[in-house]
Amino acid sequence: MGLKGGIAIVAAPPLLSHMVSCSGFTANVGPGLETDKAALDRVIAKALKQGGDFADVYLEGRILRQIIMEESRFRSGLYGVSQGAGVRVISGDKTGYAYTEEITEENLMRAAEVASYVARNGKSITPVNIAEGKRESFVTVHKPLEDIADSRRIEIMERANQAALDYDPRIRMALIDYNDQVRSRVIANSEGLYLRDELPLLFFIVQTMSDDGTNRHMSRERISEHSGFELFEKDTPESVAERAARESIAMLDAEDAPAGTMDVVMENGFGGVLIHEAVGHPLEADNIAKGIGAFTGKMGQKVATEVFTMVDDGTLPNFRGTINFDDEGTQAQRNLLIDKGVLKGYMTDILSAKQLDLHRTGNGRRESFRHIPIPRMTNTFIEPGENTPEEILADTRSGIYVQSLSGGSVNPVTGIFNFTCREAYMIENGRKTYPIRGATLIGSCMGVISSIDAVGNDLAFGPGICGKGQMAEVTAGQPTVRIRGINVGGSRG
Amino acid sequence: MGAREVEVYIQNSRNLTVRVRNEDIETIQEAAAGGVGFRVLVDGGMGFSHCNDFNDRSLNDTLERAIAFARLTTPDEHNRLPDDMPHQEVEGLYDPEIARLPMEKKIGMALELEAYAMKDERITHSSGASFGEGESEIIIANSNGMLKTYRSSSCYVGVSVVAEKGDQRHTGWESCSRRFFEDMEPLEKIGAAAAKKAYEMVDPRMVSTQRAAVIFDPAVARSIVGGIIAAINGERVLQGASFLKDAMDEVFASGLLTIVDDGLRRRGMGSKPFDGEGVPAGTRTLVEEGVLRSFLYNTHAALRAGVESTGNASRGGFTSLPGIGTHNLYLKAGPHTPEEILANTQRGLLLKGVTGYGINPVNGNYSGGASGFWIENGQISHPVQGLTIAGSADDILRNIDMMADDLDMARSFTAPTFRVSEMQIGGA
Repeated sequence: MGLKGGIAIVAAPPLLSHMVSCSGFTANVGPGLETDKAALDRVIAKALKQGGDFADVYLEGRILRQIIMEESRFRSGLYGVSQGAGVRVISGDKTGYAYTEEITEENLMRAAEVASYVARNGKSITPVNIAEGKRESFVTVHKPLEDIADSRRIEIMERANQAALDYDPRIRMALIDYNDQVRSRVIANSEGLYLRDELPLLFFIVQTMSDDGTNRHMSRERISEHSGFELFEKDTPESVAERAARESIAMLDAEDAPAGTMDVVMENGFGGVLIHEAVGHPLEADNIAKGIGAFTGKMGQKVATEVFTMVDDGTLPNFRGTINFDDEGTQAQRNLLIDKGVLKGYMTDILSAKQLDLHRTGNGRRESFRHIPIPRMTNTFIEPGENTPEEILADTRSGIYVQSLSGGSVNPVTGIFNFTCREAYMIENGRKTYPIRGATLIGSCMGVISSIDAVGNDLAFGPGICGKGQMAEVTAGQPTVRIRGINVGGSRG
Repeated sequence: MGAREVEVYIQNSRNLTVRVRNEDIETIQEAAAGGVGFRVLVDGGMGFSHCNDFNDRSLNDTLERAIAFARLTTPDEHNRLPDDMPHQEVEGLYDPEIARLPMEKKIGMALELEAYAMKDERITHSSGASFGEGESEIIIANSNGMLKTYRSSSCYVGVSVVAEKGDQRHTGWESCSRRFFEDMEPLEKIGAAAAKKAYEMVDPRMVSTQRAAVIFDPAVARSIVGGIIAAINGERVLQGASFLKDAMDEVFASGLLTIVDDGLRRRGMGSKPFDGEGVPAGTRTLVEEGVLRSFLYNTHAALRAGVESTGNASRGGFTSLPGIGTHNLYLKAGPHTPEEILANTQRGLLLKGVTGYGINPVNGNYSGGASGFWIENGQISHPVQGLTIAGSADDILRNIDMMADDLDMARSFTAPTFRVSEMQIGGA
């Protein structure tokens, strides 16, 4: 059995020691590699020895907890620790990457050698010795997760479960999924940057299932922030559960949705996932740099209606998509992507910024040390407009009113997207009428942003998990909007 | 320490991914990883913990965390670990040749594949080609005396290209995954298939909203079959969250529908000697000529249902608890060629691409985005995209009226071409 070359090779990696000091790890061996700048300099130098334009080292530690309650029982409690470090070399358009889970200088030197394979025979730069950098933080924590006893997590879940079941006798089951984690990062690169930080993340999900003997509906409500336990004072477990239960009951009366092209009013909040998919992904610069993205060559052009302004902002206080600095060390910032219909910016990482000769926008993110950074969204939203949501609805003769979406996806090259509605209603004569069963909405990104003709004044955000070969935590935000003419996949002709 | 039952799940793996684009290397990523997950039962309560550090102190701390959690969770008499049952080895899970191939050969294959996919002049851009390989060793031990291990390998090539014409862009993608390197499909065939998927979609036309036949290509069968599999997940059935919860031994689909799960196929991508908690894998008919014959269970769900585990505990690695999943799943082939099905379709959609979540396992509702070809008078008329298709599982599954013979058993989730006689199609 080859357990990574044998059991107990190294002492507990010091990266985690400061995170888990309250958890049973005792005082650790000497100063850790994460603070040994001379050692990190040696690793970076090794990575660039064969050639290359840029190299970085990324060290990460993560402690996570997940507790699951199903059918009023605590099904499982999970506690996980993971740590590792990766070395990356960029040479021209090429990237080499290797990682190790045992953070020793020897292993990092070996990773540097593997990563440098892509730079063989390339031109070489001399790395700058690293020095501690400063980045602004947009996350404040009042009740740190590590001070919270598990019994308090359990209590939050019991409260949510009870509130869901008390809402209506037709709520047959609640699934409560509590997640928290603390991620610590150290970034060092050949430009001389050295940064470290630690971010907590709370994610609380309530799903409820209603059943009236004929129909069933599963709904979902989620809250998430980079926050301590105070999140549950801002939004109580009861109100999260009641929001899920309300949808479960409302949708029991759903009828088949109609099929074909019609107008759609999207309620504010996580409907923002429409913009995340349909416009956000195609504005990530990696496919633009490859010359195949849907928005390739459209910078400065009018791509949307004048009411449409879109922003990605990694600095919104404590938001789930907020990052302080990205996983390449670039300061998070507010990036204007589309301004009154005109394309103003792409979201870049270091590689795509270099390839496109653009500035770094702070969107180089990675799921963990097992992944290379790629351009990703943070908190992406449509800027609010002038109309009240009531005005937009009243002004819509017929169509579909979408209140929540299960999720969606887009092909960033063709720009064709889809979303699945979870809670939706018919609009008849400017009024919301009866609920309709989960229908898919599909269209093309260029089509949808040139068809948004009304934007409300009620911007709200929802938390999401975005997958692009690797996961990233994001929010999507949107005021109420109306889209003229979108294809609705109902089963009624 | 108070644990009544303990399971140790260890996974060690090694992966390499080479990506090329525009005739040059784009990324090379290598990783060796491993870790351990502890599942602990204390008086029926379950705790789970994992770490990727095999240091004694980390292991002890991690195990203690699982025990602490087990004391907090609700006692459940169905929380048991499986007994040590003998299992059958599966032939052809590990190919030592893959790791021995030189790096230059792997890069060369990705480059060659990209070149084949770019050969047709209608293909204007490459999104990249890749070669991937992985091997993994799994060890499961538990306090009922179980100690089991197996090793597996896989290799993979894939390519994605773009056909651009004016403002139109169409993507085409093809891949091949095998346990053994020698079983890989010829690169020329894979490249040509990717190119065809892109250029054959050029100049799509819209059709009106209507009801018509839909022919499901094997590539999109999952949107239908995936919903059935999720709906016969034993856990979901016990929770009442399945549209098939009351369908056991009932006719719920066309007589043409037979679905088998086979864990033991030689060199199968989904094959394994035992499931994610060490229960022997087997071969099981889930649906027989339209009649539901079996739900899928792991140990916990089976105990709760009062039956035996079907050996379908899935595991997402050492960081996750056992769920429920299939091994090599296939929908049994029928008598027709795909060409016969097309020729017998007056008007309808040959479905090549779908988006969305497939059949909703809770209530059987189906709605998705659709692309492919429009059929008139038994012949392909033109490409279509931006359509929707929808229906209820009940209608769709009972209306499967033709089943083809083009079943590719090299895939771990596979179906032949089949036709649904009528579905709602949304268009202009």
